[in-house]
Parts: sequence; structure tokens; C-alpha cells
Amino acid sequence: MIGFVLRRLAQLLPVLLLASLGIWAMVYAVPGSPVGALVGENATPEQIQATIIRLGLDRPMLLQYWSWLHHALAGDFGLSIQNREPVLDLILQRIPATIQLGLSASVVGLVLGVPVALASALKPRGWLDRMLSGWSALALGVPTFWLGILLILLFAVRLHWLPSVSAYVPVLQDPLGALRNTVLPALTLGVYVSGIFARFLRAALLGELRADYVRTARSKGLRERDVIGRHVLRNALLPFVTIVGLMTASFIGGAVVTEAVFTYPGLGRLLIQAIDARDYPLIQGCIMFVLLIYIGINVLVDVLYAYIDPRIDYG
Amino acid sequence: MRLALKYPGAALGIAFLAIVLLASFVAPLILPLDPLAQDFTATLDPPTAAHWFGTDELGRDILARVIAGARTSLTTAAGAVAIAGIVGVPIGLIAGFFGGWRDAVLMRLVDVLLALPGILFAMALIAVIGRSQMAALVAVGITGIPGFARITRAQVLALRRLDFVLAVEAMGGSASYAMFRTVLPNAWSPILVQVVILTSVAILLEAALAFLGVGIPPPAPSWGDMLRTGKAYLYEAPTYAVLPGIVLTLTILSLDTIGRTLGRVLEDRQGAHVVAALDEPA
Repeated sequence: MIGFVLRRLAQLLPVLLLASLGIWAMVYAVPGSPVGALVGENATPEQIQATIIRLGLDRPMLLQYWSWLHHALAGDFGLSIQNREPVLDLILQRIPATIQLGLSASVVGLVLGVPVALASALKPRGWLDRMLSGWSALALGVPTFWLGILLILLFAVRLHWLPSVSAYVPVLQDPLGALRNTVLPALTLGVYVSGIFARFLRAALLGELRADYVRTARSKGLRERDVIGRHVLRNALLPFVTIVGLMTASFIGGAVVTEAVFTYPGLGRLLIQAIDARDYPLIQGCIMFVLLIYIGINVLVDVLYAYIDPRIDYG
Repeated sequence: MRLALKYPGAALGIAFLAIVLLASFVAPLILPLDPLAQDFTATLDPPTAAHWFGTDELGRDILARVIAGARTSLTTAAGAVAIAGIVGVPIGLIAGFFGGWRDAVLMRLVDVLLALPGILFAMALIAVIGRSQMAALVAVGITGIPGFARITRAQVLALRRLDFVLAVEAMGGSASYAMFRTVLPNAWSPILVQVVILTSVAILLEAALAFLGVGIPPPAPSWGDMLRTGKAYLYEAPTYAVLPGIVLTLTILSLDTIGRTLGRVLEDRQGAHVVAALDEPA
């Protein structure tokens, strides 16, 4: 088992190295170098030289990258240019908000997406399937930010039921306040997520429905409900789990836009603020963090998959 | 006509896109629409007979800006798809045709692009090279490379072992001849479908970047930027953010529907799994 995890990590290592190289090199592609951004426009040559030495920019490139990666993997992304706080602290402050949004959006996505997938896979190419595959096209095609605006217009501007700007209220401290503030962003992101879920779960279900064991189950007179519930759904969830891992990236992307619509104080807002302020260590930190999460989730999903499916040999 | 009845969704999509294209490329030649003309006596007006979509915070005609924005959106998306295809298709072709270390190296590079959300990648790239239409075009284009590479590779892998390809090689045809003249012409249908669908994704991504404030810089009209500004005036002028959003959404849905219908038609004709290939997790 440990060997399996290590092997998967080894496979993802090139991805991590190459992507981190890109993230690190980002700063060097900036016109005017990071030193310019750090010391400001009126710096003396001595100040510039001191900063170069302090940052270790006089060392060979490869050595610089290695020391940056080394620190980044240990969670040290350096200091934010704006307020000299450790980048990791700034990121960690935002994580609970993003997790709360992500989890509630997943719930919305599952509640909307799974029934749609089931209904359309059971009668493929029927009228219901056509209508429901329209749902996933709609859910994925309607821009998240526009849907968010429409929801704000209806529930905040017209009806005055909910706030138009969503604060982060921890659900354990104030469940009602959390609900008021999270429901619109969660619905916005959740609709998009339901489109992803519905499309892939439908494909997985269709694949399973063609399998021999389904015919066997049916021919021995099992009720359709049991065929689906006991056999098909269980097996279809396997490929579905890996897809959830692979879709982490677009999930996070959707969260960035959703947070912007509702000015919700999550990781996505932090990144946008960092870009506005040209705060490169913070930009690097945020993106590197997302990359590590992606790799982490994918390893986790593989392990989970091997655990659920005894046919996979992870010895 | 019979085709239009058989695929009503795609027919509607084509009709809508035709209107958008006509409006954006032909209308400015005949109608006095200036997306930049300001009128401070009429700011944030609701839709009227003079301004069908109302006016924005500087008194500019929103409909004129939507029409001009269409041109920006469509040209940026077209350029982005071109970049993605020109880079992505050869990657998939070479990886699928040769296999081995070339496959491993190329697909690992593609994996790197997949590991970051497209929008984050584009934002980071634009943060580095600065805001411009070219920056948005290149950033969106790069995020489309994995899609083309994966679909082409899957198609090539399926064709690679077929007799007619083996025959070309057995007769001494060079690898590049076999790749470009034998395999690629038979792999085009999913690639074509990908072109249409990716155009809709590119329009969405470009608008999202503009909405986040890192897209094409103002005052050039862009759909995403109009939604961004419109969001600030939800109480004063609710239609400001709604109407451009309708056009944006319908454009995206039209392209997506056309692409998927095209995929289904090609699938029925060739028996290839065009749409299934598109729904692979990309």
C-alpha cells in the first residue's frame, strides 16, 4: 500500500517539478525583475544591490530554483510584498472559507447532478435524456459570474432575502449566518459542478449498463431498481471517483470566479488581490498551493480507488 | 431544411450565431453605432427606443458595446483556438504515432497544463506579460492545448494499427508521410468538433478573465468587462449586467450545441466515438 502511494507520487513528480519550474520562472519573465517591484522606483543602487544579495539573486539560477522549491515544499513561500506577512499565513487564513464554499457547492452539485445522470442514463437518447443533457450543457455553458449576478439581482436586490456581498461565517459558530452568506455562492458554483457531475456520471453509468453482469441480473428477474441500485451505481461510482480527482482543477477555477462575484474572502479573492497588487511571492504561493492540492487530491483519489476496487493491485 | 428539423437545437444555434456575426461585422458599417461615444446627460438609462439595451455609467450605448464586444470576443476566441490547435494537434499526433519516450515526454507536458485550472494559468500568465488582447488570446490558447493533444492522440492510437497505415509503412512510406497524409486526414472529425466546442470554452474563459479584471483592457468593449462594471450598478441599472450576459450565454450555448450535434452526426456516419472522446475527463 505504501509502495503504491509512493509510486503514484513518483509519477506525479515530473508534473510537480515542471509546473513549479514554470511558477518560479514567472518572476523572472516580469519586465523590470522582482527587485524593482520590491525596492520601489526611487531605490539607490546600493539598496538594489542589497536586495539582490538578500534574495540570493546573485547565485546560479538552478540553485535559486532549488532553494525556492525546497522552501515552498516545506510551506515557506516567502513574504508578501504588500504587507511583509508570510505568504503561507495569508493563504491559510483563506482556506477555511474556500473549503466551506467548496463543500457546500459539492453538496449542491451532487443533489442536482446525480438524479439528472441517473434519469438520463436509464433511457439513453430518449426525450428525458435529451432534456437533461441540455441541463449539463446549460450548467457548464452559463457563465458562473453571470448566474451569480442573476441570483444577486433576484435574492438581494429584488427580494432583500440575502446579502449581495457574502462574508465568511464559519458554519460551526453561526449556522444560520453561514447559511445566509454561503447559499448564493454555493448555488452558483454548485450548478456548474452539477453539470460536470451529471455529464461524467452519465457516461460511467452507460458504460456499466452495457456490461454482462447487468444482463445476468436482469435475466434472473431482479427488479430494475435493484439492478441499478445494487449493481450498476456501485460500479459506476468507481470511474466517477477518479473523475472527481481530475476535475479538481476546473472546480478550483470555478471557485475563483464565484468568489469574485460575491466578494467572498477565499483563496481565489486572495489571488486576484495579489495580481492587482503585482505581489509576486503571493501569486506564486497561491498557484503553487493550488498545484499541491491538485496533486494531493489525485494521489488520495488513486488510493481510495485502489481501496474500493479490490481488483487493483497496489502491492 | 430537413437537417434543421432533425437537429432543432443546432439550427437555432447557427441562426443566433449568424445574427451575432452579422451584427458585429456588418451593422457598424451601416448603422451609426459608436461604442465609445459618451453622453453624460443619459447615464445608466434603462432600455429605451433610442438605446435598446440602455446606457452605461458614461452614457455609452450598451447595445453598441455588446456588438463591438462580440467582435473582440469572437476574434480572441478564434485566435486562441488556432494557437491551441496548431500546437496541440501535432503534439497528439507525434505522441500517438511514435509512442515510447516521445509519448511519455509530450503527454507529461500536457499533464502539467492540466494540473492548473485554465483560468489560474491564464491569470498568472497575464500577471506576468501584462494586460492586452494578445495576452488574453495567448493565455486562453495555451489552456486549450491539452484538449487538442489528447483527442488527437486518442484518435491516432486507434488508427495507428489499422491495415492501411501499416501498408503505407510496409511500402516504405516515411513516418511523416504516414502521419500527415494517412493518419491525420482520418482523424479530423473529432478535431473539428473540438474546434467548435473549444471556441465556446475560449469565449467563456476570455469573458471570465475580463470579469476578473485581467482581460482585454478598457475602454475597448468586452462582454466580461461589461458584466464586471454592470455588477457595480445592480441597484441603479439592473439590465446593465443582465442583457450583455444573455448575449454571452446564448453565444456559448449555441457553439456548444452545434459542436455536440456535429459530433453526433459524425458519430452516426462514421461509427466513431466522437462525442464520447470529448467527454473523457480533459
